[in-house]
Amino acid sequence: MKVVGPEEKVKITLKVNGNVHEVEVEPRRLLVHVLRDLGYKSVRVGCDTSHCGACTVMLNGRSVKSCTVLAVEADGAEILTLEGLTKDGKLHPIQEAFTEHHALQCGYCTSGMIIQAYWLLNENANPSEEEIREGISGNLCRCTGYQNIVTAIKAAAQKMRA
Amino acid sequence: MYPPKFGYVIPDTIDEAVSFLKEHEDAKPLAGGHSLIPMLKLRIIRPSYLVEIRRLKELQYVRKEGGYYQIGALTTHYDVVKAGIPLLSDTAARIADPQVRNVGTIGGSVAHSDPAADYQAALIVMDSSVVVYGPKGSRTVNFADFVKDVFTPDLKQGELITEIKVRDFSGYRWAYKKLERKAGDFAIVGVAVLAKKDGDKVTDLRIGLTAVSNKGVRAMEAEKVLIDRTPTEDLIERAAETVMKSIEPPSDLRASSEYRKRAAKVLTRRALTELLR
Repeated sequence: MKVVGPEEKVKITLKVNGNVHEVEVEPRRLLVHVLRDLGYKSVRVGCDTSHCGACTVMLNGRSVKSCTVLAVEADGAEILTLEGLTKDGKLHPIQEAFTEHHALQCGYCTSGMIIQAYWLLNENANPSEEEIREGISGNLCRCTGYQNIVTAIKAAAQKMRA
Repeated sequence: MYPPKFGYVIPDTIDEAVSFLKEHEDAKPLAGGHSLIPMLKLRIIRPSYLVEIRRLKELQYVRKEGGYYQIGALTTHYDVVKAGIPLLSDTAARIADPQVRNVGTIGGSVAHSDPAADYQAALIVMDSSVVVYGPKGSRTVNFADFVKDVFTPDLKQGELITEIKVRDFSGYRWAYKKLERKAGDFAIVGVAVLAKKDGDKVTDLRIGLTAVSNKGVRAMEAEKVLIDRTPTEDLIERAAETVMKSIEPPSDLRASSEYRKRAAKVLTRRALTELLR
């Protein structure tokens, strides 16, 4: 059993996009803040109440809202943020589809939206429109009206299956 | 928003968790944390320690035995959806949004005892029970008795939920109808229905509701309207009407009491029509 006192910090290891980070955190620190401090600025604080999805990251293969996960809970975990989707300067098919289909305006929700789309397409390589809308129902976009986001995810799915 | 300061405990076994919680009165167990962490951020609670039970592998399972499903308390909503349990899996699929379902757990939800939680509607009609483990060993409580009041489970300090048990309703038809203000929100009203027919006759019917009382309620009077009868449009209407009359829902920022009553009637009628006609 490991006990960390209320005034103590705890050393944790996070593997983010393949990079191993050792950080000391207070138990109350939220994962989203630690990731941003480590330089992963694609992870955004939006509503800060687990509604909007701007802070979505992959945690051990599942998409989560990192504003509602403690960093200490993620000790030893593998995390994927938007930065990790781009390989050798080449955009991921989902990122390409978002560009091609104008699936963003202000861009604030986009990184969370793309990570959620990544999770969705891992789960279901060929989702229907309804399944896409349900799959991104935890990600709010106040600009686009979602139509182009849905189109982009559908196009990305097609590209990734090919 | 930042949570207040707290200590953090990672136990290796359930017994370690139980004895630490027993010795520290204001310590709280942390499962998926999707109710607890928001409450910490709002500073509604200030526990001395969080005891991270989330990763205890022995509480993550779904088994089927002797006509019942046994669900480990730390099974996520995602895994409940995947388990293909009649009614319960479809209910879990309507909880919040995918990211929340990826982390939130059934045991955490039941322990939180939110009167608008989706599970409340299903569990109240599924002959469910809750297995509780504490310093004095294990005990099993009927779900209907386990939730005592709003946010008030039958749990003493040091006790943890280890398992939820539900009957296997294969052979039934089922539906969970949820009215929500916006995608991913708590229910304004949720209605879970299990129905069994033999030929034209309804042989069993169970109607459960969430968000209409201090806990999940079963509308037994309404069930009786249809049991042993051939369902007609009139009878379904009467059953839905009976549901409406049997509840006194609260008014809150999601809906007024009157609105909830009417919504409960409409959702019940929709579910019954879908399942029985």
